Amino acid sequence: MKVADDIKAKLVSVKTENIIRMPLGLLGFESIKQYVMLSNPEEHPFLWLQVLEDPNLAFLVISPFEIVPDYRPDIPNEDVEFLGLKEPSDALIYNIVTLKGPGLATVNLKGPIVLNRNTLIGKQVVIANAADYALQHSLPTCK
Amino acid sequence: MLILSRKLNESIVIDGRIIVKVVRVDGEVVKLGIQAPMEVTVHRQEVYEEIQKNNKEALTRGRPSLPKLPRQLPTNKS
Repeated sequence: MKVADDIKAKLVSVKTENIIRMPLGLLGFESIKQYVMLSNPEEHPFLWLQVLEDPNLAFLVISPFEIVPDYRPDIPNEDVEFLGLKEPSDALIYNIVTLKGPGLATVNLKGPIVLNRNTLIGKQVVIANAADYALQHSLPTCK
Repeated sequence: MLILSRKLNESIVIDGRIIVKVVRVDGEVVKLGIQAPMEVTVHRQEVYEEIQKNNKEALTRGRPSLPKLPRQLPTNKS
């Protein structure tokens, strides 16, 4: 399958400094700790958080701010410390997208993936203001 | 499940390194303080479970086709 071969090729050639390390994994996937962000210009603004060791597994993610312009995730202090974030601009935020069916997709605003852009250490954070946002926020797709 | 009774300001120790303390009791609401090493995650159970379930649903095998999002208006860069 050409798509799988493309992914394998990208994974084989990935540089160590581009590997995203998640020491605690994702909730429910704690044993998967290494990822690479793959993007395809035709799929903008979606990105693939690709499992480094399994070309067949990935999470579809998106940067939330274009879709939800007033999204203000409140990252708990323990997580700021864990990630070594010195200032807000150190953080890269991506939210996991669930494909529900043709033209239907939702994004998890309660538990974003927060990366330190300098170290590429990441964590799935439950934001302090999770109650203000949806677990399955509908994406405005073109029908 | 191990059931222990604690009074306000009393604690339990888990695995010799995680401390859970009853810091406030307000009617039906019990406020817990948790001290744990950085590599231990602590979440409200119902939030953990719903995010875990959502992650599992979101896990993608292969590359399905993606929905198109409406083109955004150019943002005002001020």
